[in-house]
Amino acid sequence: MTKSALSTQLKRLLPRGRVLDSPAQLAGYASDALGYKSYQPDAVVIPADAEELVGFMKGARQLGVPVILRGAGTSLSGGPVAAQGGVIVHTSGLKRIREINVDGFWCEVECGVGLNDLDAELKPHGVFYPPDPSSGPVCTLGGNVASNAGGAHCFRYGVTSNYVLGVEAILLDGSVHRFGGPAGGRGPWREDWKRFMIGSEGTLGAFTRFWLRLLPLPEKVWTFRATYPDLRSIEAAIHALVAHSSYPAAIELLDPRGVAMVESSQMAVGLPKGSFMLLTEIDGPAALVNARVEPVAQALRQAGSSDVVFSDEDAMRQKLWKARKAAGGLLGQLSPDYVVQDAVIPKSALAQVLQLVYDEADAAGIRAVNIFHAGDGNLHPNFLFDSRVPGDLEKVELISERLMRRVIEVGGTLSGEHGIGNDKSAYMPLVFGPDSMRLQWAVAAAFNPTHQLNPLKVFGDRRFAV
Amino acid sequence: MKTIAPMQAERLFTPFLDAVDGTLCLPASATFADIHEQAAAHRLRFPLIIDAAATLREQVAAATHAPASSRFGPYCDNFLGINWRLPSGRLARIGERVVKTTTGYDWLRFLLHSGRRFGEPVDYVLRLRPDCGFHLEARLDGDITALRNCVRRLLHSGWMHWWDAVDFLAEGAAFSVRVAIHCPPDEAPIFAAQLSGIASETHTRLTLRDNPPPSFDGLPDVVVKTTPDRAIGLTCELARDAARCVALCYSGVVHVHLNVGEDVAERAHTLMQPHLGELHALGGDWHSRWLPATPPTVTESQWIETLEKAIHGS
Repeated sequence: MTKSALSTQLKRLLPRGRVLDSPAQLAGYASDALGYKSYQPDAVVIPADAEELVGFMKGARQLGVPVILRGAGTSLSGGPVAAQGGVIVHTSGLKRIREINVDGFWCEVECGVGLNDLDAELKPHGVFYPPDPSSGPVCTLGGNVASNAGGAHCFRYGVTSNYVLGVEAILLDGSVHRFGGPAGGRGPWREDWKRFMIGSEGTLGAFTRFWLRLLPLPEKVWTFRATYPDLRSIEAAIHALVAHSSYPAAIELLDPRGVAMVESSQMAVGLPKGSFMLLTEIDGPAALVNARVEPVAQALRQAGSSDVVFSDEDAMRQKLWKARKAAGGLLGQLSPDYVVQDAVIPKSALAQVLQLVYDEADAAGIRAVNIFHAGDGNLHPNFLFDSRVPGDLEKVELISERLMRRVIEVGGTLSGEHGIGNDKSAYMPLVFGPDSMRLQWAVAAAFNPTHQLNPLKVFGDRRFAV
Repeated sequence: MKTIAPMQAERLFTPFLDAVDGTLCLPASATFADIHEQAAAHRLRFPLIIDAAATLREQVAAATHAPASSRFGPYCDNFLGINWRLPSGRLARIGERVVKTTTGYDWLRFLLHSGRRFGEPVDYVLRLRPDCGFHLEARLDGDITALRNCVRRLLHSGWMHWWDAVDFLAEGAAFSVRVAIHCPPDEAPIFAAQLSGIASETHTRLTLRDNPPPSFDGLPDVVVKTTPDRAIGLTCELARDAARCVALCYSGVVHVHLNVGEDVAERAHTLMQPHLGELHALGGDWHSRWLPATPPTVTESQWIETLEKAIHGS
């Protein structure tokens, strides 16, 4: 089908929505936040509402092109991109918060609702939705559910799959199904199908709305920042915190290369050169959490820090977070391209895996910065490179492969919160044996047997054939 | 990027205890004593036990939540991995030993409560929690209105995160609220003061017990999943025809224990029939360990068939 014929058909399917087909319009959808790989879609559609999305999905099979669902496009794994061409469905039209039920601790939202927009609506009700990926100001709940997003406070609060009570999904035949709902059970189904939908990266169906579990807002938060001179002492601090009775909400780490990056920028906060920076938070009722402040500070000092700083005042807490939050943005200033990995490892293997990152990156002449969720063992090594320099990308891919092999050897996994997309799909054979791989493929075969939805993602050989 | 060759064998879990991550792999036939023996030595605990004598496999088959799910979430958020025996007899690894993953489709949560329809669990990887060394159990008594207000006060504040359990207990027309707390000994007076304040505000009578011996409700005969705001009302209704009921208030789960000697299948159907419409409309459900699963809908039969082909082909 020619692009012009495709556009004509799309306009018929979306009389109220928008169809984008000019090169300038499509350029904005060519990549996700990973950036260095781009794929021009044949068209982008923006359904006006869920009803129009249903109509589009009913007609999608006849179009005979790949269909890729996309929220804000903040994925870091090459997820919502047109790797095999086709039509990107931008869900920005579905952005209603339909209900907030405080007594039942749930809310019902459409897939295009922004994460921070939801939090702003929830706050006056005294409740919150805990997952907090750093893309919160722009990312959508659809993208969060599709990639099972996490964030800095997962250590205590958990990831998206811990909070999704129900999913409404449109399958490729246009049928609309509700898996679960406010009660979070199976509903009338025999099996709990929503479990496959969460984290399915747009490969099983188009999500329209979700029912999400809420928690009461913590009354008070204390933020602690400490620096450590070496890996041994930072490990001791992490181990002390994960076992601490205060159950920290977040345990975040910036390695010395990350600290150097921040300190040589205009975002410098005065961290000692060559140090590891650890950030942790405890929250709860004031009477309880205030009693925990000194024991936490003491644990941080005992692990070897001589500069533990902590505060419960908002302005000061923001200052303590500044280096951690600035680090992600600074990567883009240092290098035209970067790859961020998302492996999760047993924390006892932290030193050896970090050392592997340094050794491999240094040997290849690639700059590596580690900013990660230490409490979960969720590493985010960032490899900085220039995709215009011949051989640079290949070096990064080789380092990534060696890293992933080691991660699996020590008992870890490829992705904790970003998803697989097309960035990590090549490593999936490291994780799944023959039987578990067959089970993985069966899920796609049940819901999307032709791989028309988001082909070449999760498993690289999921290719759509008309 | 070069292609990585597929693995020839499954990467199965072997029994381990990782004291740093707080993870424990042990057989599905393990009981509370087995877990406690290994975990306690490292000042760790697995709080989601509902029956001391039952195996983990039996507990997971009987229920999706335990009282401590109020704080730590359902079983599926606390079971990280499984060695799963397929109908062919071969073992497949499902899930991970690390605390978070988004690698592939989530078979772990799908299979955990699927009964034995797709095979059976052989080993589990559990997420343990720090053992802070002190238990406090509170009982709050009063009339039903006072108890409802009391539960509302317990759940609708930042304290909710720190109660291990907030349960509404019903035996016939006798009701009470049970709160479980697990904390370091020096924090116990802070919790006690808060509970005392809530009891006073809600006109309920508070009884506190320090470090009571472990007690468990036992495996429920029927488990109902609804929303938290409906759990107490439903419990009161169901308790009229049951030996006792326990509402796990934040989880919106009701555990129903039937009278000994009853025809459980018939009684469970009779009990639940009036509530099915509302439950399904809310995306809730019910099940009983004594009964076969609900028959699949026509639509899901096709999906199940596809999954079974893959499973039986293994």
